[in-house]
Amino acid sequence: MAHSVEIDSKEAWNGGVSPFKVSYGKMMMWFFLISDALTFGGLLVSYGFIRHKYSEVWPKAEHVFTHFPFIHEHIPLAYVGLMTFILIMSSVTMVLAVEAGHRMDKRGVTVWMFWTIVGGAMFVGSQAWEWYNFILGTDLTTTVDACKDLGHMRTFFDNHTGEVVTRHIHGANMVINEYGVPQFANYFFFITGFHGTHVFSGVVINFIIFLNVLKGTYVKRGHYEMVEKVGLYWHFVDLVWVFVFTFFYLL
Amino acid sequence: MEFNDNYPEYEKMSNHDEAYGKKARRTLWNVFWIMLAITIVELIIGFMAPSRGWSGTMGLKVLFIGLTIVKAAAIVMWFMHLGHEVKFFKYTILTPYIVFMCYTIFVVLTEGTYAGTSGKFAKVDPVFIQQQEALKKGGHGGGETHSAPAGEAHGEEHH
Repeated sequence: MAHSVEIDSKEAWNGGVSPFKVSYGKMMMWFFLISDALTFGGLLVSYGFIRHKYSEVWPKAEHVFTHFPFIHEHIPLAYVGLMTFILIMSSVTMVLAVEAGHRMDKRGVTVWMFWTIVGGAMFVGSQAWEWYNFILGTDLTTTVDACKDLGHMRTFFDNHTGEVVTRHIHGANMVINEYGVPQFANYFFFITGFHGTHVFSGVVINFIIFLNVLKGTYVKRGHYEMVEKVGLYWHFVDLVWVFVFTFFYLL
Repeated sequence: MEFNDNYPEYEKMSNHDEAYGKKARRTLWNVFWIMLAITIVELIIGFMAPSRGWSGTMGLKVLFIGLTIVKAAAIVMWFMHLGHEVKFFKYTILTPYIVFMCYTIFVVLTEGTYAGTSGKFAKVDPVFIQQQEALKKGGHGGGETHSAPAGEAHGEEHH
């Protein structure tokens, strides 16, 4: 004779308890970030692979990223250091906005989100300037000097004429660049471009939420979780930059 | 059935008062200063590396990647609050990612060995490598030179 077992309804899971103790929206933001992080992880691993394959002819970052606004001397790493500082700074203002939201402090959220958006916009602008210099290459006076020792000579296969030609190359595009193997510029464009797209969309989303904060939407709702959700996305963007910074500029 | 959920509104669970907020802010600023210090140390080391001959050494790579992981952990644990979530959620997020990334890196390290080094096996751009070697020796870049004006070289589309 089978006998039933008494189950304490306080202990049993009856569908009413969330084991994660987070709201649906926040959990889904985390799951999205996982998938996005896997995309970036895959890109960076493939970058490492190609860089290893061409390690002998891979350009050194301190020879490529040497520009700084208004200064004509070549300073390696300084500009990217500034960009990193801006992004970390905007990350800390974002987390302060989230913290202010937990106290239902509308003014605090407004101020800190404003600075986050400013920081994000500055970062996107900095990246545009970085791309501008990367694409145009070294300035003309330097190049003329460099041409003497053939520092910018590149030999490549011309698809139109079918010949192998050697020419002086300025800057970079997807086919050829003055710095090193074509893959160097390809990966630079793709990974920093993909990251820059994330920063740009993050600024746009932050701005939309900022408008909602101003309208008082979250005061009515009784919580500022939307700020926390865009905060997660924004910190993820910062997180990716930490890795891009290391693998593209430091190593 | 009885509804056992003690927190019907998870969104409001993290709301807190001013006293708690003060403590939270202090922690966040401390994390920020630590991250800034790590970044500055990285930049100084990166700045000194070429002249000291540290560039490309294994020690430098391990140091930079280690510091990067420390910074990443700080962002995830404090800025993204994953340290404050329940353990079950924390590992649901972290475990798949760490397992998949370790697997990807493992695959590259074991299955990617066919690539070898560019000098020996690269078939993609032998002319380029030949030329780089010639440049290292201080000679003329390989191949015949088609003289083109220095200002007007944008790859092949102009040719």
